[in-house]
Amino acid sequence: MYDVIVVGQGLSGLLSAIWAKQQGKRTALAAMGTGRIIQSSGVMDSIPGTQDWQGNPIQKGAIEAFKRLTEKMGYPYKGEIENPISIVTGAGHVKKTILYPATISPIPEQGRVVIVGFDHILDFQPTFVQKNLQKARPTLMISTLTVQLRKHSQRTLTQLDAARLLDQSEVRNDCIRQIQQQMYEKNISQPDLFIFPASLGMEKWQETIEHFSTELNAKVTEAPGMPPNATAIRLHERLKKEAVQLGVRFYENTVVFGCKLDGKIIDSLIIKNGSYESVISGKEFILATGGILGGGLEQTSIGLKETALGFETNESGELLYCPSNLYPVGASNGLRVIHHGITGGVYSILSAHEAIAKIGKNPMMGGTRSA
Amino acid sequence: MLDLFFHEDTFEKCLKCNACVVNCPVSNETFDFGGPKHLGPELKRLMDNQQVIDDKRIELCTLCGNCDISCPENVHVSTLTAYAKAIHSELSGTKFRDVVLSNAEFVGKLASAFAPITNLAMGMRPVRKVMEATVGIPADRLFPKYRFNHFNRLYNKKTASTKRKVAYYVGCYATYNAPNVATSFVKVMEYNGIEVVKPEQKCCGVPMFANGQLKQGLKNANFNIQRFLEYTRQGYDVVVTCTSCTLALKKEYVSFLQTEDAKELASHVYDADEYLRVLMENGELNTNFAPREEKARYYAPCHMKAQGIGNPAMDILELIPGYEIQDTGAGCCGQCGTFGFKVEKYDVSMNIGNKLAKTVNDVNAEYTVTECGMCKNQLDQLTDQPVKHPMEILAEAYLVGDKVLANK
Ligand SMILES: Cc1cc2nc3c(=O)[nH]c(=O)nc-3n(C[C@H](O)[C@H](O)[C@H](O)COP(=O)(O)OP(=O)(O)OC[C@H]3O[C@@H](n4cnc5c(N)ncnc54)[C@H](O)[C@@H]3O)c2cc1C
Ligand code: SF4
Ligand code: SF4
Ligand code: SF4
Repeated sequence: MYDVIVVGQGLSGLLSAIWAKQQGKRTALAAMGTGRIIQSSGVMDSIPGTQDWQGNPIQKGAIEAFKRLTEKMGYPYKGEIENPISIVTGAGHVKKTILYPATISPIPEQGRVVIVGFDHILDFQPTFVQKNLQKARPTLMISTLTVQLRKHSQRTLTQLDAARLLDQSEVRNDCIRQIQQQMYEKNISQPDLFIFPASLGMEKWQETIEHFSTELNAKVTEAPGMPPNATAIRLHERLKKEAVQLGVRFYENTVVFGCKLDGKIIDSLIIKNGSYESVISGKEFILATGGILGGGLEQTSIGLKETALGFETNESGELLYCPSNLYPVGASNGLRVIHHGITGGVYSILSAHEAIAKIGKNPMMGGTRSA
Repeated sequence: MLDLFFHEDTFEKCLKCNACVVNCPVSNETFDFGGPKHLGPELKRLMDNQQVIDDKRIELCTLCGNCDISCPENVHVSTLTAYAKAIHSELSGTKFRDVVLSNAEFVGKLASAFAPITNLAMGMRPVRKVMEATVGIPADRLFPKYRFNHFNRLYNKKTASTKRKVAYYVGCYATYNAPNVATSFVKVMEYNGIEVVKPEQKCCGVPMFANGQLKQGLKNANFNIQRFLEYTRQGYDVVVTCTSCTLALKKEYVSFLQTEDAKELASHVYDADEYLRVLMENGELNTNFAPREEKARYYAPCHMKAQGIGNPAMDILELIPGYEIQDTGAGCCGQCGTFGFKVEKYDVSMNIGNKLAKTVNDVNAEYTVTECGMCKNQLDQLTDQPVKHPMEILAEAYLVGDKVLANK
């Protein structure tokens, strides 16, 4: 018997589980697979807007709790809801975002930048990035260059593979030498900022950033683009490890395909691992199944279907009846919040934090862990 | 002849999202591996359209199952890679060493019969150098010890008469290398008033699947299914102390064989701690544990995670008064059954293992708890901390608890 059971391990699910456990609740998390955070850019966008929380104390508390958590995990995020910043993406577009990791710096209006690509990382093409960035920043002086990672591979390399390579200082030294050499040959003047794909180290991101900025004598930033981005994977791996170390019980590779009701509230979830079916019971339930993109909602010929609990929804995917011990968070809130295509990270943070605050206040729950 | 045109259509759901690649311990360590997305669903799609493809890069897959755990579309990635391994062995042949390693049971019988000599020889540098050169088992790799007094010599009960009855699937490791785990389990059950029988059994087949010997592995699977069904049909529960064996009985037999018998058996199989948790939930668990003021760390084997059962070992150990245990949150150990015993894979195995060792050492504790004998082997080699099976700790806690009670 758990105090809180979370369904889904995207950003919404992992944050809910961590925060529930931090409150001393016996917490379990059941999920079919990883969430969309793996495909994301790792920065927290404000989609849909945060109007729902305007003036609500939850908002400030949630953002602060997220920053404290990422700081503790050794991968701190910066930024404020009131002050979106502009960053450059791996396609060269400039976009506004709210929260961003320490490996990212805002893109300036003017000055000089150099875009650096890696020969085998086809997802990031410096000249393509340059073309788009120039449109958004007409007065910025932009140069490009491409360096070699000199690694033979049996598969297509991703930005994440490059990030793992750059954890090694020999690989970094080699890249730095090539950058300096090419700048000299191509007569590129010293820039204010170097733009890399989202590849600046995994475990050793801090060392990597410092190494590059010291040797190159300028700021460096990652421009997240085609997944997998190291920016997002660093966050995902750390959130998962944090949850496990705190003692959240993971039921992975597990499909939730129904629930048992006790009168008007949920009593337990029906789960399946392969052909192996079982039941886990709890007091409060958090639905973080990610809507259409996350697998929590399915488009069928008769409209949207909720997949995990078997509940009926209206035409925009919101639950027709939501038991008092069920809290939908993130993209599982239906089309109202996903009409822009996706819900951004900020919405996940705010809704997860709000759900946990409600659970904390719920008198039914009583004090700390029951076991 | 193995039917290489196997039926497994979950690959159709693959979105090429890369979640499996990002979470594959081997892909993260070497670019020589093709990765789960390519060697799983993509290869299967190609094969269903054309002829069977033999891809050598599959050798590096350890069947750890992290790809299945991470796939959001529920593609049975490791079932697909297991077939790719079988196809590779069938078409390119299998190294003599891999046939030997895959026969954990045969090796176990032989090695434990001559246990003092085997252990001595495996500890001798010159012998190991020769083994590396001739059969390709790395000289630096620690070998688990074999026990002359293995579990088959110690225990042979075939019928039980208690209310709850357990048919114990022991597995090779607890039989030949760690009979203490097996005897501890029997004691733990005794303290709960449950008699344990040991049905006739063969190796679960996991090392065979991992070495592409699918046919042989499935022969064992069918044998075990028939033997254990005789017991479950008389009301026995099947309980297992090795997480890889548990996963085989619960899931792999079903994915490979897709028979009703395999499914029927799977529904009666429990991990040992999971079984104790069932007893606890039904109010049947004997909780007369002696207090133990100890701090332990837990290392979760991949094949425990793949079962989707939460963390039953910690759930039960936390019931011991004063006992503190923390999950290290570490990833794959890199030993991966027979994988780490191969000279050409030793570096990858060690690189994965070194990351694990660091995470394990980060959690301050007196010793490490894990259920898997192969993970223990890696932990023994890479950390200086003792490694215990939960059943050993519980048996001790009951034993002392009983003495305390008797003295009152
Ligand atoms: C390509 C892409 C790029 C993105 N980029 C950004 C970005 O740059 N910035 C940003 O802020 N946001 C971005 N997002 C959005 C963000 O990453 C998340 O999608 C959003 O925060 C929603 O997260 P979630 O946790 O609610 O759901 P998801 O991350 O979708 O998680 C759903 C979880 O539920 C599980 N699940 C679903 N159904 C079941 C079931 N029946 N049983 C068991 N488990 C189930 C899934 O396995 C998964 O673990 C992006 C999304 C996508 C798809
Ligand atoms: S995680 Fe699943 S859906 Fe994604 S690429 Fe791998 S197999 Fe395909
Ligand atoms: S089973 Fe393990 S090693 Fe093999 S592809 Fe999957 S994650 Fe990688
Ligand atoms: S998984 Fe279990 S039965 Fe199979 S070889 Fe290992 S110890 Fe033996």
